[in-house]
Amino acid sequence: MSLPRSEQVVCEELREFITQNFLYMRPELELRDDDPLLELGVVDSIGFMELVEEVQTRYGIAVEDVEISEENFGSVSALVRYVDRKLNR
Amino acid sequence: MCGIAGIVRADAGRPVTEAALRRMARALRHRGPDGFGLALGNGAGLVCTRLAIVDRPRGWQPMRSDTGGTVIVYNGEVYNHPELRAELSQGGFEFHTAGDTEVVLRLLERDGLHALRRFNGQFALAWWQPAARRLVLVRDRFGVRPLHYAVLRDGTLIFGSEAKALFASGEVFAEPDLAGIDEVFTLWAARPPRTAFRGVRQLPPGSLLMWEGGEVVAERRWWRADYQARYDVDRELEPLLRDSVAMRLRADVPVGSYLSGGLDSSLLTALACDASDHQLHSFSVAFEDPRYDERLWQERAAAELGTVHCVVEVTARDIAGAFPEVIRHAETPVVRTAPAPLWLLARVTREHGIPAVVTGEGADELFWGYELFKEVVLRKLGERDPARARALLDQLYPYLAPSATRRGPAWQRFFLNAGQQADPLFSHQTRAAATAAVKAFYLPDVANELAQVDPLDRLRAELPEAFSRWSALERAAYLEIETLLSPYILAAQGDRVTMAHGVEGRYPLLDDRVFAHSAAMVAEQKLDGLRDKVALRELASRVLPPPFAARPKQAYQAPEVTPFFEDSRPPWVKERLSPAALARTGIFDARLVAGLVRRCQAGRANAREGMALVGILSTQLWHELFCDASGAQAPLETAEPQMRLILEPSPRGAQA
Repeated sequence: MSLPRSEQVVCEELREFITQNFLYMRPELELRDDDPLLELGVVDSIGFMELVEEVQTRYGIAVEDVEISEENFGSVSALVRYVDRKLNR
Repeated sequence: MCGIAGIVRADAGRPVTEAALRRMARALRHRGPDGFGLALGNGAGLVCTRLAIVDRPRGWQPMRSDTGGTVIVYNGEVYNHPELRAELSQGGFEFHTAGDTEVVLRLLERDGLHALRRFNGQFALAWWQPAARRLVLVRDRFGVRPLHYAVLRDGTLIFGSEAKALFASGEVFAEPDLAGIDEVFTLWAARPPRTAFRGVRQLPPGSLLMWEGGEVVAERRWWRADYQARYDVDRELEPLLRDSVAMRLRADVPVGSYLSGGLDSSLLTALACDASDHQLHSFSVAFEDPRYDERLWQERAAAELGTVHCVVEVTARDIAGAFPEVIRHAETPVVRTAPAPLWLLARVTREHGIPAVVTGEGADELFWGYELFKEVVLRKLGERDPARARALLDQLYPYLAPSATRRGPAWQRFFLNAGQQADPLFSHQTRAAATAAVKAFYLPDVANELAQVDPLDRLRAELPEAFSRWSALERAAYLEIETLLSPYILAAQGDRVTMAHGVEGRYPLLDDRVFAHSAAMVAEQKLDGLRDKVALRELASRVLPPPFAARPKQAYQAPEVTPFFEDSRPPWVKERLSPAALARTGIFDARLVAGLVRRCQAGRANAREGMALVGILSTQLWHELFCDASGAQAPLETAEPQMRLILEPSPRGAQA
């Protein structure tokens, strides 16, 4: 069972994941939490899948197909809101 | 099959040295391990290394005509040479050899460059007309055989089957052409006449170049893929393809086949078995990694067809081990490791005493087999009915994710929003976008320099006038032939890796009659909905057991990351990706590459990062192999030439 995490911790963990795995190619980019990941090219179609996988494995969340949208996965803040909602449901 | 090279000078009084020709011959020995010949004099020199396949005791080159006095060095096969020979003989010509070289030379002398359209085959040649001091370089329709050249400031022209022959001359120096490299990282290969080397050009497929007294006076296409009348022709495909296969079995040596287990190679192997007067030897690549492996299909096809079959199992370690040699032969950065298993396959083929193989390249371009063609259909549909297009794309790529719909909005962006239908390059926008992953690793200065000119804009500007009249799928097929088949598949995965071991690939589907036939077919005989290669499948259903005719395409791929990051990886990987090595090459940003290496080490690299890794690593190897070396120090061919001609200004120079 995963321990409760604060939004702040989730945000830091996801930022770290994105930095390590995607932003290494964009060292000049200062990513803000509301920046659109797809539109800025931070993640591509394959990277998007990696984000989904990471959220599932790290937080033990079962991501429904219909939930895979830019609304839930499109930015760091969207991801944090989504994870928080799922963990606290 | 051979390697050819030469030097011609603007000033006839300025000699070409035999040492230079011997260095060039040595650089091309792998293409012609059976011996070499040279011609020298009057400010010109030609050399040819020979892989003897037709008329083995004679047929040495350079060859001079005893009627017109012109001289040829020729690499390739014109398969209809017996028919052309009979025609020339009826006209009173007497032949001294039984091979195709003499037929080609005589027909060129009789008909001039009009003769080219009569040649059914794969060839690159240099034709020297001493009286005019004119050199004509020619390359076959699809560019099966390579031909490189450089024109120096003083008007000297230096040519060779491979660029390494130019460097061995000591007069051409290997330097990167960033624009050429950028084309590799856009389209998978530099687009002829560009190469990855500054100042080194490759003759485009179906082209000729004429040099006279120090100047290139003509450079044009003599053939180009074209799509015209459409009619119902599928019933005629079988005799045509059988004839094409039978022609490609003509040789004084045993001809085998490459049998991948897919529709195309199984069909061609079946036709070759029917036409062959001996039991056919077939060869295939199998992978230790089951994701890439097709050996069950290969073994089943071999058993059904009764071939003597040889499977070459390739491991990740084998790929890493072969990779530097593959780059030495390919002479370009690549974005795939797929050429490496084919290099290993050719080595084993040669070890089994088979110097020529029929192979199925061209089927996917002529009969619209690649998924790219289906993407075109679905992406067009996506503009009208996105939901339906998404559902069908999910059917097309079920293996890309555990659940198709998980690809979500990124999938939508990548495929359905990839480009406008009005863009001539609509069909290739997704590939260009995926391949460009490598460019994210450029140093800022390199990226800034390359941002000035988009390789896709150059391609748009050079499309033929007829392009706008073709259908979306015909445009896609043309682009596929121009940008992938000729400069990549037939080169890095074809000529370069087979000829590395003195094995000649023969391509029945690239017979110009087969192309014309396929181009004339109605679209539904190629792609009907999402059912591909319809006419080929119908033919296969008559000559192969049912499962082969119905078998979906399995893309030929090889592992990209594991060869260079598993425990047994060779030490040069770390060295070539080190900051110091990257700084010497000066193309990639070491900080970014370090991030990529971390991803690879962690086993997290995705498909695009795999492509980026192969692109960066191959560029590093390529730079070290060519740009850090000096051609003047290349070794000499020390054997005695099998043929030596003195080139004199008069048309009838004496043979030494």
